[in-house]
Amino acid sequence: MIGGGSPGSATSRGEPSADREAAPSSPSRARSTASAPPRETTSGIFGPCTTKAYPQGPAELARMGARTPWHDPGVCEGTGACARACPTEAITIEGTGRGARLRLDYGACVFCRKCVDACPTGALRAVRFFELAVRSKDDLVARHVAGGTLGANPPPSQDKVSREVRERISRLFSGSLAVRAVDAGSCNGCEVEVSALSWPAYDAERLGIHFVASPRHADALLVTGPVNRNMRLALQKTLDATPDPKFLVIAGACGISGGPFRRSKEVEGGVPPSDLPSVWVPGCPPRPEALLYAFWLALGRVEQQLKNGELPPKVGGSSLR
Amino acid sequence: MSAGAPDHGSEAPLLSATRSQGERTAPPPRSQVEVPGARDERKWVAAARGGPTLEEAEEGPWEVVVALERWRPSVLSLVHALRFRLATLWGENAHGGDVEVHGIFLGGAECRGVHLRVDLPGAARKLPSLLPDLPTALYFERELSEMFGVTILASPDTRPLLLHERHTAPPMLPAGGEPTGVRAPFGFPRTEGEGVYEVPVGPVHAGVIEPGHFRFQVRGEEILNLEVRLGYAHKGTERLFEGLEPSQATVLAESISGDMSVAGATAYALAVEDVLGVPVPPAAQTARGLLLELERAAFLMGDVAGIILDVGYAAGAAEANVLREQAYGTLELLTGSRLGRGAVVPGGLARPVPAEARVDVERSLDAVRRGLAGLVDHVHDQPSIMDRLRGTGVISLEVAEALGMVGPAARASGLVRDVRRDRPYGPYVHERVRVRVASRSEGDVEARFEVKVAEVLEACRLARHFLGEGGPATGPLISSRSARPRHGLGIVESPRGEFLVALRPSEPAKKVLARVHVRDPSFLNWPAIEYAVRGNIVPDFPLCNKSLNLSYSGFDR
Repeated sequence: MIGGGSPGSATSRGEPSADREAAPSSPSRARSTASAPPRETTSGIFGPCTTKAYPQGPAELARMGARTPWHDPGVCEGTGACARACPTEAITIEGTGRGARLRLDYGACVFCRKCVDACPTGALRAVRFFELAVRSKDDLVARHVAGGTLGANPPPSQDKVSREVRERISRLFSGSLAVRAVDAGSCNGCEVEVSALSWPAYDAERLGIHFVASPRHADALLVTGPVNRNMRLALQKTLDATPDPKFLVIAGACGISGGPFRRSKEVEGGVPPSDLPSVWVPGCPPRPEALLYAFWLALGRVEQQLKNGELPPKVGGSSLR
Repeated sequence: MSAGAPDHGSEAPLLSATRSQGERTAPPPRSQVEVPGARDERKWVAAARGGPTLEEAEEGPWEVVVALERWRPSVLSLVHALRFRLATLWGENAHGGDVEVHGIFLGGAECRGVHLRVDLPGAARKLPSLLPDLPTALYFERELSEMFGVTILASPDTRPLLLHERHTAPPMLPAGGEPTGVRAPFGFPRTEGEGVYEVPVGPVHAGVIEPGHFRFQVRGEEILNLEVRLGYAHKGTERLFEGLEPSQATVLAESISGDMSVAGATAYALAVEDVLGVPVPPAAQTARGLLLELERAAFLMGDVAGIILDVGYAAGAAEANVLREQAYGTLELLTGSRLGRGAVVPGGLARPVPAEARVDVERSLDAVRRGLAGLVDHVHDQPSIMDRLRGTGVISLEVAEALGMVGPAARASGLVRDVRRDRPYGPYVHERVRVRVASRSEGDVEARFEVKVAEVLEACRLARHFLGEGGPATGPLISSRSARPRHGLGIVESPRGEFLVALRPSEPAKKVLARVHVRDPSFLNWPAIEYAVRGNIVPDFPLCNKSLNLSYSGFDR
């Protein structure tokens, strides 16, 4: 009855829920009095596996879930309604009408879909996609011209981290990765989803990813939050205490751009750029599958999907509404 | 607990459920401040205002402006003679560099409350401390001091609260101060003697936990004293609201405590609707109730899991987290966001909840309810778990009341306050929505565990109720006041307890927000952990901590 497919999942693989409710009983049922009605017991301990297949299998997503704004410049009239509706300036626009220059930054997006609701022309749509993590922040930004075509972005900048380093990370950590989570002033929304990686539904340990208590045991730091003034020093010390080689996973809009807090004098506006290999994970917060994808991307086990601000064609061009 | 039996809608009491109106409180403290004839809140308000009769048409908290020299006696008579409690204190900038201090005090008939204001002239900005008579005021006064440069007279503790660096000026004043990079001193109390040692913990903790610093003084294994230093998650959020249009700021309200996004957005929306007179469609009210209760179920499932995990029973915790995932999946089904973010907006909901999800939601609620009942029966049978919970981390009723605690933690200490029942709002106004408030009197980890379990089950029941309403539950809840108040007030029972938003739009157009104050329930509850751990052993600290589950970000903002 529990877990497996999220309710109403689009790509449900599990057994029908009725089967799960007939899970074997726990010892507590045996203790219940004879007069008590039979009780549905706690199936997770003794019942079927509830761990989701992703990333080894397809993701199971709720019908409305995992929606990401996607902009089609071809039908964009450059009204600027999206930019006015956006609470975090993830969308900005210069000029109006056809020819206006629109900038969509997935690193600042909080995925509230206000832009989609505000768009009068249908140029902005909410598509189902969550594999948004990238190795370079530049890849998070789409630059479109209203009335123009997709893929007309200026060429992406070169990856600062060499292929040798990437391969070394992959070789060293693919089988076993120790992660130290650092909250650099987040709202604790990201912490819910990072914690979820240890729940049976996502169980990151099955992939060799485990969270450790000390930076000295860690291969990677998972940083959330906008890096506020009061956590700057602690973050730096944690980073210094982590042995080389190491890499960073920066999760959530706050860590990438400052998110809703970007204008505060009390925050740095995200994790400052460094020479360390990094993976940036958009989301507010990023869902657990998006975090798993980010780790696999860092380990070189999957290809980067979001390139130069553009979603894969099959996603962007799909008819999902 | 009667699991299995179809109990939604039944009136069986949950634990020692209390349904009496008004709050159960401890006997009044000795230091009463006598105000002649002030046994009745209406008389008190009339007297404080200088005599004229009250207009019956007024709604919301009674607004009273007091002179500076009347501030302390007025507050103490409200608190001690009328048995009101301090819900929040905040500062605002007024013309000419003056600072206004506002306080919301709840109590009295229908928990309507009193909104007290005192003006501090710009030159001096001095305010007499409410301590030691009103311990709840300490953190509020420390924040007023650092954020608005108010000198708190005769305060026992003048250390900063949220700011770790020196600022060029108090940051909430109109000119705004900026951090200088120079760390401000912060003295921890010392304990000395043979065998006494200190354990510093944090701000980076050993787990997926928010940042904060704990300083334990320990002898052997026994904790003599704990001081918590917070502010590590301070982001200057209240300042960020200023100048925004109300519709733009919902994401900030959701980001006070991200794990209570729905409650934060709802409290903010209620405050905006209150001050601007925005009507909310009944269906949206009902849907908000559904989302609020689902969030509560998911959140408190996490507390149940955490308590079970922190006694070392990983399999039981995994089971609880299976159920928690189910609850978050249900929120996503209804809102498109696992935490329900972006769903609640001023005026209603961003988009209607999909009607076709109803069957799946019902199934999930039943699964959570049955799964939890089974798990808890199993846990109750494990002496190795229950022995750890019993008698650990006791918070007495006296301490809970002195600190002004709220939420499940307060209710586990016998302080039975729940604004869903005492001061109904939005979805809870309808008479058919009867919230059964669970409570215990022991105040230990076990009591908090049991209260939270009962609240998950009750949240599932209420969610089913709101799901069943479907259509109009009640008429539009915004009254047709003749004159809108200056401030909007939104008070919501979040999973951690009473979440309060007070806001004032700019005059006269009211297009943008001039001041938004947010008081997370953890702001009131954080000091309780310092009392809970005294005399306990260090290894039980995680248990005390998890059973209170305080929000660092909610406190720090």
